Amino acid sequence: MIKTRMTAFALAAATALTPLAAQGEIEWLQWFAAENTDGFYDELVADFEAKHPDITVKLVTQPFGKVRESIVTDSAIGVGSDVLGLNMPWTKEFLDIGILEPLDDYLARDDNSFATGDLVEAPLGKIDGHTWMVPLNAFPFVMHVNMGLVREAGFDAPPATWAELSAQTSAISALQDGTSGIGMPFSSQPPSNGPILTFLPLLYANGGRIMDGTTPNFDNPKVVETLQYLKDMNDAGGMAPGAASRTGGVDLEEFIAGRTGFLISPGVHSSSITSRNPELDYTLVRVPSNGENAYRVHGWEIGISADSANKEDAWTFVNYLLSPEVNARAAKAANALPGNLKALDAVREGADETLIKQMDILSGDTPVEEMRQSPKAVGSWSVMTEEIQAMLRGDQTPAETATAVQARWIELAK
Amino acid sequence: MSRIEIRNLVKMYGAHQALHGIDISIQPGEFCVLVGPSGCGKSTTLRMVAGLETISGGEVSIGDRVVNGLRPKERGIAMVFQNYALYPSKTVYNNMAFSLQLSRMPKPEIERRVREVAEILELTPLLDRKPGALSGGQRQRVAMGRAIVRDPKVFLFDEPLSNLDAKLRGQMRAEIKRLHQRLENTIIYVTHDQVEAMTLADRIVIMRDGRIEQQGTPDEIFHDPDTVFVAGFMGSPPMNLVDCMVTPDGLKLGDSEITCATPNGLRAGERVICGIRPDDIRPASDMTADMTADTAHSAPITVPINLIEQLGTEKLVHFSAGDHEMIGKTGGRVTMAEGAPHPMSFDMKHAYFFDPKSEKRIR
Amino acid sequence: MTSTIRQMTTKGTPYFFLLPGLVILGALLSVPLYKVVEYSLYDNVIVERNPTYVGLANYQTLLTDPGYWSAGLNTLLFTVGSVLGHMVVGIGLALLVNADIAPRARTFFRSMLVLPWIFTAVVVALNWQLLLNPFGLINYILQWMGLTTEPLDWLGDPNLAMWSLLLISTWRGYPFIMVSFLSGLQTVPRELYEAAEIDGAGFWSKFWHVTLPQLKPVIYGVALLDLIWTFQLFPLVWLSTGGGPGRATEVLSTLTFRLAFVDFQFSQAATVAVSILIISAAFTLLYLRNEARRL
Ligand SMILES: Nc1ncnc2c1ncn2[C@@H]1O[C@H](COP(=O)(O)OP(=O)(O)OP(=O)(O)O)[C@@H](O)[C@H]1O
Ligand SMILES: [Mg+2]
Repeated sequence: MIKTRMTAFALAAATALTPLAAQGEIEWLQWFAAENTDGFYDELVADFEAKHPDITVKLVTQPFGKVRESIVTDSAIGVGSDVLGLNMPWTKEFLDIGILEPLDDYLARDDNSFATGDLVEAPLGKIDGHTWMVPLNAFPFVMHVNMGLVREAGFDAPPATWAELSAQTSAISALQDGTSGIGMPFSSQPPSNGPILTFLPLLYANGGRIMDGTTPNFDNPKVVETLQYLKDMNDAGGMAPGAASRTGGVDLEEFIAGRTGFLISPGVHSSSITSRNPELDYTLVRVPSNGENAYRVHGWEIGISADSANKEDAWTFVNYLLSPEVNARAAKAANALPGNLKALDAVREGADETLIKQMDILSGDTPVEEMRQSPKAVGSWSVMTEEIQAMLRGDQTPAETATAVQARWIELAK
Repeated sequence: MSRIEIRNLVKMYGAHQALHGIDISIQPGEFCVLVGPSGCGKSTTLRMVAGLETISGGEVSIGDRVVNGLRPKERGIAMVFQNYALYPSKTVYNNMAFSLQLSRMPKPEIERRVREVAEILELTPLLDRKPGALSGGQRQRVAMGRAIVRDPKVFLFDEPLSNLDAKLRGQMRAEIKRLHQRLENTIIYVTHDQVEAMTLADRIVIMRDGRIEQQGTPDEIFHDPDTVFVAGFMGSPPMNLVDCMVTPDGLKLGDSEITCATPNGLRAGERVICGIRPDDIRPASDMTADMTADTAHSAPITVPINLIEQLGTEKLVHFSAGDHEMIGKTGGRVTMAEGAPHPMSFDMKHAYFFDPKSEKRIR
Repeated sequence: MTSTIRQMTTKGTPYFFLLPGLVILGALLSVPLYKVVEYSLYDNVIVERNPTYVGLANYQTLLTDPGYWSAGLNTLLFTVGSVLGHMVVGIGLALLVNADIAPRARTFFRSMLVLPWIFTAVVVALNWQLLLNPFGLINYILQWMGLTTEPLDWLGDPNLAMWSLLLISTWRGYPFIMVSFLSGLQTVPRELYEAAEIDGAGFWSKFWHVTLPQLKPVIYGVALLDLIWTFQLFPLVWLSTGGGPGRATEVLSTLTFRLAFVDFQFSQAATVAVSILIISAAFTLLYLRNEARRL
């Protein structure tokens, strides 16, 4: 009964909210344009419309923090957009609700502008037997380095191993009041995703994982070892104080301002670092390894809404975005690597040193992506954040932390 | 029962000078009334004595102490405000007890004092009420009670009766007089009601534009005014003040001439302001023994009668003399016709003469 | 007969003009209200295509959930603390800027002091995060004055976070109280203060015996209003601490949001929302009764 009523309500709302949902018009909800200020996406849409006069694209831009909410609530009341900007960790949740359209049939067509085999692999992996999204771009998690502080602390190269990282962070923290070796953004403030920004890349470089297929597997020796590493680094003073209130934003700002030696974050941040503080003696390296050359891969993904009334047009647009030529432009605009690897050469041309370094990481190391299959991914970050906070405070051991996260995550996923 | 000395008191409000050097000396137990037109500086003077306004110049002493720098509570004064200023959230009892409570007097003593004063002012049945549930007169009595319980050396009143109706005002006036006789405190009382001033005061201070015009006993002020202003201010209806010319044997008032002794030092042809109270102008037909006693000073002139006002025991006779509108009096039973000319007799031995330029009395 | 009709139409006319407003307002209020209550009776909605009616099961879950009770306790602390903070600071500053100083300085201070009010929650939260940072200004000053030796993580330490949040909330919310009291203060007759001064009252006695009783109706109304607002305050808490560290500053409103948009448990979220609604409604009734009494 509630269903019929909800449908009625949704229909009423839909008619009220989208009176112009005419044939040939598609909506693209994403946050990409919010992180780009030079109007690239408006031009992109205009270019597409010029090539496809029968289709118009409405660009709906929201800040990253709002997009997940919007996709769910819009879909619930039936006003969802046709093409969706996606973040891999959301996948499982969206599948449970049935928001996404399987893309297998579209990818199998022979008139596509790209070859499926050329796309970055991670987002394509099948869940429940289907592929749900395609990559617009990709970037590895890297470690940004303030070479000035590294040298001041008496080292001539950035750290490549965990041991070197420990030594250098402590040494940089000891330099003077106000500088710290590394920042760890373990604040509860939304999106509260510090663990996947910093802890996971370190874990992967240690050869660890937090998922066993589609089941959470946080309570394992590699995780405990990595937690112990964080704890030791904090106890040795290598970590900036106030991790429990440090947001990702503040962490980035502090690095840009030259007050932290290292920052583990997506490679795309290199462009804002160099443009905001050109004075910084800056470079980037792979996340220091403890035996494994693996990196957390991330990117901006694209999917199609299961409720879309214009799936054909929506695919036409997605198809356009993935063509090597367009994809190269989109990657350059975001200072990221292309989702279609055919575009790599085009992107490499004129690319700066930091982008080249990312390409090297991308081509040599093992990509890892676990969040796509993770149940209640967003909720699980909060849980990890809270438990790591308690560990850094000294309230629990790394082993207890791993057990606590595992228990709470399983409870959450029920 | 303190002496109050006010010496050369000056008040500046920014660039505006409200008081220009006031000197008043009030004896212990004296009842001093400040009167004057609105804005003349009565309240300002009173509030400077109370300590509610800073003193811009001069000195105020109460008892033997100069109080210029003291806070109100240190001056040993109590004040009753025009709008009563009772604490609306406190009962009558607590309104009266407040100052004693603040001075940490023992409770039984407070109770004794408040009850005693409440008894005097007939407030006992009202002690548990809040001000909102009292009539205007009752509130006024509470305000006085609040002042009395502190047993101050000096009482200050700022137009305490002006919010009451005429009848109640009369009663309260008598009550204040009675209280003063009983408590014998020194009082400064501001009013612009001259009846209050005349009935209550031991000393009246008449102020004008921030200066003292004249001070003295009610008799002196009424019967021996120093200036045109004072002469015109006291008395109801007010004194007739007319601009005349001196003649060899009297005054020329419009077309008529009144014979009288030439004012001191004036020669024929000079101008003078003559002041004469309505009581001293009567219809010639109505002459009393008092007025005929010395005919040399009175001279009937015939004038047009404009209006007769019946007040009961007496009537006011409005008439014209030359350009001047004047008022005389007659008995309440006398019949006179309006509009017809009538001879009026002036009792010139009670007339006052003033210099038209300085407006000072010519004695 | 016609006169009755005319009477009815003349009497009805004002209501007729109110009708569109009432209908819109009614719809805007009652539809979401109804929806939220309805949602709370199902196992889950929005993410569940076929919700099952579960009656009051969600309420049962809620009442046995320690997380709910701890958020409730935090809400109580936060609300009472904030309202007290607003009152004390608001009244104090209202007294200060009501003082008899140069009019231009007074206008300056009055406008400066309402500033916290005009910033959005995002700006307020961000500013205070910077101020309260271990390397921030507040720690710097405290260490400089020798009050602390180590920098404190004001928003990251579970023992300090609620206090810090109260500080932020107080800073953010006092201007409303200050402005309300300022207008209240200006209606207190000056003679009352003068009478009190002559009676021997000092600053505090005057405040206690004259100002407070005069402002009592205003205080009561404003405090209730503030209570209602603060009780369901969301953005400031969410943006300042996100309910953390751990759940040290989790209040009912952030719990609702977390259940809904982090965990996608919309029915459970609706249940918490209904519990907020009930308590807010109680406060609102109190407030309305107070207003009616004042009229
Ligand atoms: N606070 C003030 N600021 C500036 N001028 C003032 C102030 N208070 C009084 N004055 C001025 O000082 C003068 C004397 O005022 P005051 O109140 O003493 O008059 P008053 O004799 O009591 O008059 P009233 O009979 O109307 O009460 C007036 O010109 C008044 O405008
Ligand atoms: Mg006055």
